[in-house]
Order: sequence, then structure tokens, then C-alpha cells
Amino acid sequence: MTNSTREHGVRINVSQLQKSFGDNEVLKDVNLTIEKGQFIAIVGKSGSGKSTLLRLVAGLEQPTSGALLFDDQTIKKTDASVTMMYQDSRLLPWKTVIDNVGLGLKGDWKDRALSVLQAVGLSEFQKEWPGTLSGGQKQRVALARALIREPDLLILDEPLSALDALTRTEMQDLIEQIWRDNQFTSLLVTHDVREAVKLADRIVLIEDGEITLDLENPLPRPRDVTDERLVALEKQVTSRILEEEPLTSH
Amino acid sequence: MANTFQKQLLPWLLPLVVLIVWQVIAMLEIVSPSLFPAPTTVLESFYGLVVSGTLAEHIQISLYRAFVGLLIGGSIGLILGILNGWSKWSFFTFDTSIQMVRNIPHLALLPLAIVWLGIGETSKIFLVALGVMFPIYINTLHGIRSVDRGYVEMGRMYGLRGWQLFRHVYLPGALPSIFVGLRYALGVMWLTLIVAETIATSDGLGYLAMNARQFMQTDIIIVTIIIYALFGKLADMIAQVGEKNALRWHPNYRK
Ligand SMILES: Nc1ncnc2c1ncn2[C@@H]1O[C@H](COP(=O)(O)OP(=O)(O)O)[C@@H](O)[C@H]1O
Ligand SMILES: [Mg+2]
Repeated sequence: MTNSTREHGVRINVSQLQKSFGDNEVLKDVNLTIEKGQFIAIVGKSGSGKSTLLRLVAGLEQPTSGALLFDDQTIKKTDASVTMMYQDSRLLPWKTVIDNVGLGLKGDWKDRALSVLQAVGLSEFQKEWPGTLSGGQKQRVALARALIREPDLLILDEPLSALDALTRTEMQDLIEQIWRDNQFTSLLVTHDVREAVKLADRIVLIEDGEITLDLENPLPRPRDVTDERLVALEKQVTSRILEEEPLTSH
Repeated sequence: MANTFQKQLLPWLLPLVVLIVWQVIAMLEIVSPSLFPAPTTVLESFYGLVVSGTLAEHIQISLYRAFVGLLIGGSIGLILGILNGWSKWSFFTFDTSIQMVRNIPHLALLPLAIVWLGIGETSKIFLVALGVMFPIYINTLHGIRSVDRGYVEMGRMYGLRGWQLFRHVYLPGALPSIFVGLRYALGVMWLTLIVAETIATSDGLGYLAMNARQFMQTDIIIVTIIIYALFGKLADMIAQVGEKNALRWHPNYRK
């Protein structure tokens, strides 16, 4: 995708992270170390604090207490490139596809933008308005916009949950392939446990602002979703989420 | 074929009938021709005003007032709207005062404007500027505030700050609303001008009409009314073209 020889990826260290909004303690005591280049998936019920954790890691919010280190540096000091994909693509509707990809870049970025658009299979759409694209195409552009900055950390907040099943599978394969080519650290939040076990090296469950499960997923890639080891892992995580249900009802 | 007739010609039938009936009534002198001049008489005096250059002179001065007023009032409204949409400090400092002034019908200030500023250009431009300022202010403010927070957050994430964030996110996001304000302001602009020019001037279209009234030249009054209408329509059409062009990306403005 890029010609750069710079090594990508960043090691992230989250310790005793706590975040409250007023009286609402959303994250209680989160401890997590993500290795450089690791693909980690965070699952959990809605409202459990997943997006809040991502926003803290992205530097969009400040923690109430606790520490967050990027290669042992604070977020303010880090020069790691962090990019993000959201559930809604957040393409600016008043900019063409290519101008969305180059948003905020300086210098001569057009060629690079074209090559990332090529990597996501959309180079012939460069002059279109985002409003004319399908949901899947929009997410591809959003992915290109995240990739052109050669991220050390790619944060993905349920980026595929609004897509139909076929498009979703395609996008999962694309994200996995690009991640394997570039080895940046990936932090994916998803509702879809199958997606988590398919893509991630490690699966973390958050319940009520705390990490309650942390599983390694060493299965070799590329992974086949019908592989029985993968199915077993999916069942294990799903039953763990469901088992907690009665306790979390208020 | 029937469809072309229905769409292209039928809408003009009624105005044409009205014109013909009007012409016939005038020619038969059913009502006094000085109160109710025939369309042909109106055309004739229009022609006379054009040839003598009188009309061009009055139109020129009226347009000057309209556009200088629009430029001044529009800029102030735009800048205040942007500032107050952008900064809470600015909003809480200015908005209440602006809303208080807005509640005064600006035309009620006409006598005061004349006393303070005389019957020269300043008082008319002042009133036009005051009138157009509020619709532009309110719609700009609303436009800036209703820009999707998600876009703003994404923009910051991708390194946009200050002016860059404004230029790439806030301004284009607010533009549809700003155009609504502009088109509304154009209506206010003509209305203000008509009133201001009929009361305190010695030139301009409004003066032309009031002067004609003194001499019972109904035909000239009608000419000025039609010209006001034409300019109103023209200004709106220009704004519409600008709007379509600036909002090409917007699904509502796509062909
Ligand atoms: N900016 C905020 N202000 C107040 N409360 C917030 C804010 N962001 C998130 N919350 C609250 O934090 C809780 C967790 O939200 P979130 O992290 O979005 O959950 P998830 O992504 O797991 O669905 C919710 O109860 C939500 O209302
Ligand atoms: Mg969320």
C-alpha cells in the first residue's frame, strides 16, 4: 500500500484507567497492555464503556484517573499516528472521495491518495460525492482516509455493523489483509463475536466498565469461520457474555 | 404534445387573459384611464422613461442602496453568526443584545434614522443593513450549530484545527442554512428599500413612484412596481444559481 519502510505499530499500556461522566462511572479500573502490531478485539454489551475506552485511547477524552502510555510515552508526547474508523463513515459530504481521503494532509498527497483508494478498490470513484456511494463503499473510503496516514494504531469502533453480511465479510478480509501487510496495532470494537474471533489475536470482554475476560486467539491465518476451533472460541465468548446477563439487569 | 401545452403554455393563459381584459376595459374607458391605465399606456411610459434615461438613473441609485446595505448588513450578520456559533463566550456576550434589537421592527426606526442620519444615503443604507442582518445572523448561527459533532470530532482526529476546521467542516456544513438566510434577506432588502425610498428621498425607484403619485401618473407607479418585482425575482434567481453551485454535493440540489 505504501512505499515507506518505516516500521509501524505502537505498544499501548493502559493502567488503572478510570473515567466518569458526572456521577456515572463508565470505566472503573481498566488495565490492558496491547503489544505492538497486535490486533485486539473488544466485545461487550452496548453501554458497557467500549466507545469511551476507544475515545480515551484516541485522545478525544481525558481520563478521570489512571495512565495511558504509547511506547512508554504519554499521549501528548507521542508521535504515533492514530487514526479511527467509525460506524457511520463520517465522510464529509461536501468533499469528493479523494478530497476526503486527503483531508488535513499537507503537501502533495494526491498520488498517495490514489494508491490507497486503489488498495481499497475504489480508485475509479475518486471524483464522486460520498452521497452517491453505498454503505460499504463509504466505509472503504473511510478506511483509505485512515490508511493514508500510515497509522501506528488503527481504532475501529464498530465500523462494519451497519453493513450487510456479504459486504461485511468482504470488508473483514480487506482489513485483515491490510493489517497483515502493514502490521500496525489494531483496536476493534464489535458486537459481532464471530468477527472478533475471526480477526483478532486477542479478545477482551468489557462488562460494566471492567475487563472480565481476556482470551488469546492463536489460530493461524487466514482463518476459516467454519473451523471448529474458531467456532468453539466463538461459543466460549458468547456464552460468557450471556451468562452475565441476569447480574447486569438493574 | 398535450404535455408540453399543459406545462409550458397553460400557466401563461390566465395572465394573458387578465392583460387582455384589462386592455379592453381601459380602451372602453369603463373606469377612468388616469386611475387604470391600459397595459399599452404602461408600456409607452416605460419606453419613455427608458429613452430619457430617467429610469436607469433611478434604478442605479436604488440598486446601489440595496447592495451596499446587503453587503454591510450581510457581512455583520455572517460574522456575528459565525462567532456566536463558534464560541460560547461570544454567544453569551452578544446574543441576548442582538435578540433584543431584533425585536424592534426595523422600519419603525425610519423616523429616528432620518433624524440621526438625515435623508441622504446613510439612513437608507443603515435601514437596509439592519433589516438584512438578522435573517443572515440567525440562519448562520443555526447552520454553524447544527453541524454534525461527529464531523467536527473526525476533523480534529485528522489534525484540523482553528481556521482549517472552520473552512473544511463548519462553513460548508452551515452553507445550506446560510443560503436560506440570504434568500430571506433579499426579500427584506427590497421591502426596506421600497419603504425608505417612498418617505425620504429625492431619487430612486421609490421616489419615482411617490413623485408620480403627486401628479396622478398611475402608469409610472405601475412601471415602478413591476420593476421592483422583476428585481426581486432576479436577485432570488441569482442567489438560487449561487446556491445550486455551492451545494452541488447536496442530494437536494442534484439534478
Ligand atoms: N460524553 C459523554 N457524556 C456523558 N455520558 C457519556 C458520554 N459518553 C458516554 N457516556 C455514557 O457512558 C456509557 C458508556 O457509553 P459507551 O462507551 O458509548 O458504551 P458502548 O460503546 O460500550 O456502547 C453510557 O452510559 C453513556 O451514556
Ligand atoms: Mg459504542
